[in-house]
Amino acid sequence: MSVAAFIVIAFMLATYVVLDGYDLGVAAIVPFVARSDREREGAMRAIGPFWNGNEVWLIAAGGALFALFPQAYASAFSGFYLPLIIVLWLLMGRGIAMELRGHFPSEIWHTFWDTCFAISSALLILLFGVALGNLLHGLPLDPHGYFVGTFARLLNPYALVVGVFAVAALGLHGAVFLVMRTNGPLTERARALAVRLWYIVLLWYALASVLSVVEHGVRLSWISAIPLLTLVTFVWLLVEIRRGGERRAFAASSLWLLSLMLQAAGTLFPYLLPSLTPSIPGISIYDAAPSPAALASALTVSIVGLIAVVIYGTLVTRHLAGKLSVGE
Amino acid sequence: MSVVLADRLQFAFTVMFHYLFPITTMGLAPFVAFYTLKAQRGDADAAKAAAFWTKIFAVNFAVGVVTGIPMEFQFGTNWARFSAASGSVIGQPLAMEGIYAFFLESIFLGVLLYGKDRVAPALHGVSGVCVWLGSWLSGFFITATDAWMQHPVGYAVGADGRIELTSLFAVLTSPFAWWQYVHVLAGAMVAGGFVVAGIGAYYVLSRREDALARRFVQSGTIVALVFSMLAIFPTGDRNSANVTQYQPVKLAAMEGLFASTNGAPLAIIGMPDVHARTILDPVFVPDILSFLAYGNFNANVKGLNAYATELWPPVELTYYAYHVMVGLGTIFVSIAGVAVLWMWRKRLFEARWVLWLLLLAMPFPYIANEAGWVTTEVGRQPWIIYGLMKTAHAASPTVVTGETIFTLLGFAGMYFMLGVLFLYLTLREIGLGPSASALAHGAELPA
Repeated sequence: MSVAAFIVIAFMLATYVVLDGYDLGVAAIVPFVARSDREREGAMRAIGPFWNGNEVWLIAAGGALFALFPQAYASAFSGFYLPLIIVLWLLMGRGIAMELRGHFPSEIWHTFWDTCFAISSALLILLFGVALGNLLHGLPLDPHGYFVGTFARLLNPYALVVGVFAVAALGLHGAVFLVMRTNGPLTERARALAVRLWYIVLLWYALASVLSVVEHGVRLSWISAIPLLTLVTFVWLLVEIRRGGERRAFAASSLWLLSLMLQAAGTLFPYLLPSLTPSIPGISIYDAAPSPAALASALTVSIVGLIAVVIYGTLVTRHLAGKLSVGE
Repeated sequence: MSVVLADRLQFAFTVMFHYLFPITTMGLAPFVAFYTLKAQRGDADAAKAAAFWTKIFAVNFAVGVVTGIPMEFQFGTNWARFSAASGSVIGQPLAMEGIYAFFLESIFLGVLLYGKDRVAPALHGVSGVCVWLGSWLSGFFITATDAWMQHPVGYAVGADGRIELTSLFAVLTSPFAWWQYVHVLAGAMVAGGFVVAGIGAYYVLSRREDALARRFVQSGTIVALVFSMLAIFPTGDRNSANVTQYQPVKLAAMEGLFASTNGAPLAIIGMPDVHARTILDPVFVPDILSFLAYGNFNANVKGLNAYATELWPPVELTYYAYHVMVGLGTIFVSIAGVAVLWMWRKRLFEARWVLWLLLLAMPFPYIANEAGWVTTEVGRQPWIIYGLMKTAHAASPTVVTGETIFTLLGFAGMYFMLGVLFLYLTLREIGLGPSASALAHGAELPA
């Protein structure tokens, strides 16, 4: 049952990365593809109806972690006190910029909010990447599972490499979304950027993979098959961008991100907070779960609710999908 | 300053600021749903009203969301020992809030804001109702979480001291939670009613928006009257009964009662002197407290003196917060009552003083709602989970005072800025009015 709970959390976070990933990505690349107030507004409208629902995946995943693995929730959230509060502030800055921009009539305000939006979104992606990097790397934990390092300790080279990778990857994902969702000169610039980002991501992925091998050595297991999936979807992505298959490109990019998340989850399993020190085991899904009765109840309500959300979310989103014309 | 005090200050500050917005969204959601449905049936004025209130709702929702995320995270960041010990129970309603309420609210708000010309009219109409449902469900899960901390049910304490859930059903159907929840809803609806009536009164007083402004005043005052009465009876009364039964120390602090008394009097006003264990300059109504608490004028009500001082909540704050809430609640019934009476006599729109009253009443339901929560939460001290875990033992072991003060200052700065922006935007939308927002709403839609 702890394994099922791990799958639920991994599923929610992976969905978060794919969904909020594109609106975070759009935000981060807007300064590079939009050249006028109208174009920036067009990019905002492209994600406007969806971003809030997408972000709920993170909030709900936080809630689910609390219910399914209270011990891990408590250790992780208090251990990473400052970085997490900074994440909160960035989420606030971004949400406010997105929602309030349209209520201000002046272009000066628009420029201010757009800059706020782009910077806070890009920093968020970087921090999420750094967090993931640290999880994969292992953490300095005390025997009770509380983090005992410093903020600076979290900004180690490996984590930073993963962080920058995340920015490029979600930027690419966002560009592919903009190509699918908009029509206009903005779209063409997004397409060109997507190709450039594809090569950057490729280079960076190679670097990250080499670093991973250096850090951990090669561990052959079932997860070794996933990089193959990653590679296939990644190549498919470039093919579709070149060929103009816009929806298929977005599908490829989503699958590619999913495969990366699957790889990360497979590497972590069965730990939620892996320890860096060999003598301290870290917090595994078995240590952090509540009693079987409580876990069964939390799993049931989460799974039933999530199935409903996926169904009506998909139906409703389809109604709002389609092309937007964005003038210059 | 101890780290627990810093954590408490941060939680109190962030939750009190946050709660201003859910009050409005819970209180306005039925109005938004109502006008959206009416607009679907071709009512042109209702379409303007729907566009206007959706805009006000959306700004409140946005600020409510961004200030709400820190609440969920703070359980882990600042109260790790509490979360580790009780996450098996309180994690569940919190997770359910995310999965069952937030998705509903935010996905359908997207439809409401962006879908007018893109989705079928029926779906657009229904989306208003879904947003309403989402906001009220979210309120339920949060109140159920709090009610469990007030009066824990459906749990067992394991050998390792962890509190384990045994019945989610018991947690979600606890009568303590349901009475608290309907009281919270009544409070939010009083605020929603007064906001709609107050803004309507503002337009009538400034001779704008004609018929629509009158509709706002009429529907707002009726809602305010009905729910301000419901806030007192039965919901307020039943909550007091639950407090009397399960948290008698809190009751004594709320009422400022030190000595246990048969036929206890109700202090309408007066200032508690905790050192001397008495109330200064009180105005008493004899025997009423016994009656309110036990339905019997002679019943014995236990005073604070019957308990060790370590078990007292901060008496002054609990006492004043409670009295502010009850006092304002009574005033709301009178104001809404006068307005409805004048409406019935068909003189409301000539009686400018009543309209002024409605306009000026707008902020006070917010104060009453906040005061109610202060009573509940401060009155729960020294416990974080009543009878099970003390607040002093609940904070994160790894976080120090300096960190919390730093983040508290950060929150204070951000929320100050947010408050200024919120006021500017809301006042601007009110200034533009429903006619303008109907036009702007059309222009904002995706092409």
